[in-house]
Amino acid sequence: MEISTIITMVIVLGIVWGGLAFFLIRAIKYEKIKFKNGEK
Amino acid sequence: MKQQEFFSSRWALIIATVGIAVGTGNIWRFSRIVAQNGGGSFLIPWVIFLLIWSVPLIIAEFAIGKSARIGPVGAIAKTAGKKFGWMGAFIVFVSTAIMFYYSVVTGWCLRYFFSSFSGNLFKVNDYLVYWNNFANGSEPLFFHLIAISFVAFVVIRGVTKGIEKATKFLVPSLLIILLILFVRAITLPNAIEGIKYFFTPDLEVILDYKVWLNALTQNAWDTGAGWGLILVYAVYMRKKEDIPLNAALIGFGNNTISIVAGITIFSTVFALSSVDAMTQVSQSGPANTGLTFIYLPLLFSKMTGSDTINIFFASIFFLALFFAAFTSLISMIELSTRTLIDFGLKRKRAVAIIAISGFILGMPSALNINVLANQDWVWGIGLILSGAFIAFAIMRYGIDKFRTEIINGYGSDIKIGKWYNYIIGILIPIQVVVLILWWLISSVSWDPEWWNPLHVENAGTAIFQWAIVLTFFIALNKYIVARTLNNNLD
Repeated sequence: MEISTIITMVIVLGIVWGGLAFFLIRAIKYEKIKFKNGEK
Repeated sequence: MKQQEFFSSRWALIIATVGIAVGTGNIWRFSRIVAQNGGGSFLIPWVIFLLIWSVPLIIAEFAIGKSARIGPVGAIAKTAGKKFGWMGAFIVFVSTAIMFYYSVVTGWCLRYFFSSFSGNLFKVNDYLVYWNNFANGSEPLFFHLIAISFVAFVVIRGVTKGIEKATKFLVPSLLIILLILFVRAITLPNAIEGIKYFFTPDLEVILDYKVWLNALTQNAWDTGAGWGLILVYAVYMRKKEDIPLNAALIGFGNNTISIVAGITIFSTVFALSSVDAMTQVSQSGPANTGLTFIYLPLLFSKMTGSDTINIFFASIFFLALFFAAFTSLISMIELSTRTLIDFGLKRKRAVAIIAISGFILGMPSALNINVLANQDWVWGIGLILSGAFIAFAIMRYGIDKFRTEIINGYGSDIKIGKWYNYIIGILIPIQVVVLILWWLISSVSWDPEWWNPLHVENAGTAIFQWAIVLTFFIALNKYIVARTLNNNLD
């Protein structure tokens, strides 16, 4: 695999899949906090 | 009118909204556009436009819907001023006009699922002839009726018992099926060649302005940003619900699914194609159906030596397409339904009117693929205007006020910074102007009679149909806005 292919793969997957994972983790975290505070 | 229905949780809202965003565009349009625009060269601008078009507009739709608590006509009137309610009506009309033919497309997916499941699809010698016989007959009409009836049955039950319940089953099922297909595709021999093509950039192609414009239109298409659909679901979000984090999840989640679908299709085509794989992926076919309904069935028939396994994979592929189309169609019918509810109608009557008129007005597209292609062309570009109207509404309201009071207001988990002002105030208008001009200029260059409104895909037909709709709504603006807002006094 060429280096340019690997770089593109890292950038695209890093931003899109990494972004999704980042926001998903934060959403779960905030939901847990809300649940702890008694909100349902 | 006191609001009675809400999505029961954050996850219910997110799943339903992912159902809007993930449609057939993620699976078949995305792969074709990537192939036509140089593989990896396309992905870089596509990711950039996710950040400067899709996510900001999804945030805007969530915020307008949550604060206005009314469908697009009233929401735009409340946000931009009563003089501009016609913009909301145009947004509704564009998505409704798309719904008419999208129901036909949903029916195609269902029909191909049945053909695969019964094994009939693999008894075919020529898939182009098979497709043409199907598309030019009366069968699409029957499946259009089935699709719109199923969706009406869901929407008539309301938000919690209908839309939430259906999407909670359909969206996770769709994701599981896509994952199974993904694993099968990347483990096929030679699949790595498809993955390589998918991610390999061509530095000459990446400088071509057409690649950037296609990346923008693909984002406008497949995330559902600017359609008014997310705005309507946001009407049913609880007051304590967050906006920015949910919007980011929808945008990134949608594009994640596009990548999964793209890798699946490229791996399959490169692994199983005996002829030039790229020609097959990038071929358009009638109404862009070539790859999905003509070439992929052929590849599925060659996937393994076992007919049973081939039937299984083809069936779940078309089932996934059907689920993707179905959940998007639910949101389109809910958008029109909500607009009639705002007008004072009860949900049952509103759904009945929309389903019956949707069936009747979708008939020409079901019976003649050129009508479908024309409507896809006219209202597909119309979505760019819808996105522009949403950005305009925020500008009229005051972008900074909108950001600090509504987006970052009660319930928000994360705060949006001033960068949002520049995107809505500068970048979105630039993107709209460039995109519309490009569409018109390229349309003029490929059709000498570019002004002729009777042609399938040219500037004339788009401008002509937009003008009729815009004139109608501008003329009736006072009446539409007054009736909508009077029925929804707090």
